[in-house]
Amino acid sequence: MASIWTVAQQELTATIRDRRTLTSTILIPLLIIPLFTVGLPLLLGTLFGGQAQTRQSVGVIGTLPATLRTQLEADSKTEKGVRLTVIRDPIKAVQSGEVDAALKVTSPLPSVAGQSGTLQLFYKLGNLKAQSGAAGKVRSAVEAYNTALVGRKLSELKLSSALLTPVKLSTVDASNVAEAGSGALAFVIPLFLLQFILAGATAAATDSTAGERERGTFEALLATPTPRSTLLLGKLAATTITALAAAAFSVLGLSLSAPIALLVTPAGQGAAQKATQQAFGGSLALGSGALGTLLLTATSAALLISALLLTLSLLARSVREAQTLIAPLTLLIVLPATLLQFADFLKTGAAIYGMPIVGSMLVILDTVKGQSSGLHLLLSVAGNVLGAGLLVIVATRMFGRESVAFKQ
Amino acid sequence: MLDVQHIGKRYGQHSALEGISFQARSGEVFGLLGANGAGKTTLLRILSTLLRPTSGSASVAGFDVAARPQEVRARIGLVSGGMGLHDRLTGAETLRYFAALHGMNKFRTEARIEVLDAQLDLGELLRRRAGSFSTGMKQKLVLARALIHDPPVLLLDEASSGLDVLARRTLLDLVTSLRNRERLIVYSTHVMSEVEELCDRLAVISGGQVLSVASPAELVAQSGERNLERAFFKLLSAQKALPEAIHG
Repeated sequence: MASIWTVAQQELTATIRDRRTLTSTILIPLLIIPLFTVGLPLLLGTLFGGQAQTRQSVGVIGTLPATLRTQLEADSKTEKGVRLTVIRDPIKAVQSGEVDAALKVTSPLPSVAGQSGTLQLFYKLGNLKAQSGAAGKVRSAVEAYNTALVGRKLSELKLSSALLTPVKLSTVDASNVAEAGSGALAFVIPLFLLQFILAGATAAATDSTAGERERGTFEALLATPTPRSTLLLGKLAATTITALAAAAFSVLGLSLSAPIALLVTPAGQGAAQKATQQAFGGSLALGSGALGTLLLTATSAALLISALLLTLSLLARSVREAQTLIAPLTLLIVLPATLLQFADFLKTGAAIYGMPIVGSMLVILDTVKGQSSGLHLLLSVAGNVLGAGLLVIVATRMFGRESVAFKQ
Repeated sequence: MLDVQHIGKRYGQHSALEGISFQARSGEVFGLLGANGAGKTTLLRILSTLLRPTSGSASVAGFDVAARPQEVRARIGLVSGGMGLHDRLTGAETLRYFAALHGMNKFRTEARIEVLDAQLDLGELLRRRAGSFSTGMKQKLVLARALIHDPPVLLLDEASSGLDVLARRTLLDLVTSLRNRERLIVYSTHVMSEVEELCDRLAVISGGQVLSVASPAELVAQSGERNLERAFFKLLSAQKALPEAIHG
């Protein structure tokens, strides 16, 4: 009697020969993850860095002290100054794009410490470009101007400028290596892994069930003496292996991110670029233990997702119909994954790790942050395996129906 | 070899088959002749264990189709109308896969592939993927797939539909050769010439019922018509006329 592996082998051969499946299983995970974790930070870094090297236009109403004007217009080693232009209406000038930001002197500005004046800064607050460019440069220049005035006054009084800051506060990153490397946007990593598992499994699941029915091969297959449960488990094994291949390539993509980042990141980058890279996890570091945990979690999630896909595909008469049934499943992954960005605010008990899929996401997130626990891993794997078992029972019942073999 | 007793199949209120009975033996080509929708495919699906009868019983090679489906499946080869093949497998891979599903070892599988290659002239088909096959090529591989385990019973459902003259001839010659090797072939068709050439006996089916079981020559003689086609139409007319006569 044919074994489960015989069926799985045939399904895998058919899958490997399907270019679309190869693309979704290997190419996309290998390309998309490094692109997102390295390419996007680099791009954003370049954009932020680009703002430093651009001379923005800043409109002025009123008279600025000469020193402040010089400070605003002067170039430093790392960034260029701004170009000051006389304008009449700051709001209109900013809104029309005539200037990137505008300054309005509402009361005369002092040129010595001890007096005070007010300067209004106009820019589009939601505009990252203005925030990191013109507005940022204006803030720095005004801060430097204030410090200079106070410093001069203190010097006249023969006092040290240290008087201004009796307590100096310095910040030290207390994250472990993995947390520091994973970045604030580490929550997207579970989304990536599970989404690629879903994408990798979809083609195999639909082709091996709805596809068989559509091609008319189910009749011949079910007329062989191989038990239907063996056929179903063979198809489940093939789908899970394909999904796991996608997961493995996703993990590979993740672990390649750090070396690729080192290769493509030019030395001496600006602070903005470094911060962005850290936020997106550009220097993600995974040890062999973490990789093992990820693979174990991914395996159980792949098993569950494959069982779910097979069950749904058995309801469909064609691959297209199966894809329509499967499409909403993306939400099952995207919604909890989106909520993971608030994971730092949540107090998660151990029970939540037993929830199929959600538990896997939490374990993956914990792992990339270097906080994985054996109990949580066990619970998430058990939840997924239990869920998969229940779905296999449902699928086996469906596979036993008379109508499963026929297109109509 | 094949014993069908009062087989019925209902889908809710609709009766697809009703009280079908006949026997067929080894070394015989047994035809199922009927128009589209007569119930031939449903009957073959019951004999191949894909459908369960709602009444009556049927045994294939001594095994009841409902009680011992695995035993039946090991002894039948099924060719259904759609000629479905796994497009991304080569001919040889398809045959090896189905041989494995029938529990055959490698040695026996390769020996059977050689025999089928000689019988059906598979040649290039064994090396090419099925997705690129013509209809005739597909039919050859579908036949080889059904015969890979050398079953004593072959169930052919509209197997010649869509075939060109050459492919159809290959099919008819194969059926004849299998009969000569004491296999039972149940041949479902609506093509009279095929029935006349191949079938030793046949069951005329209409509206899910068997109207007659006889050899083609007996059928023609019983009807008093001059050929099988006219005899067939006469049987159908009689079936149609009976309820009208009863109900006035």
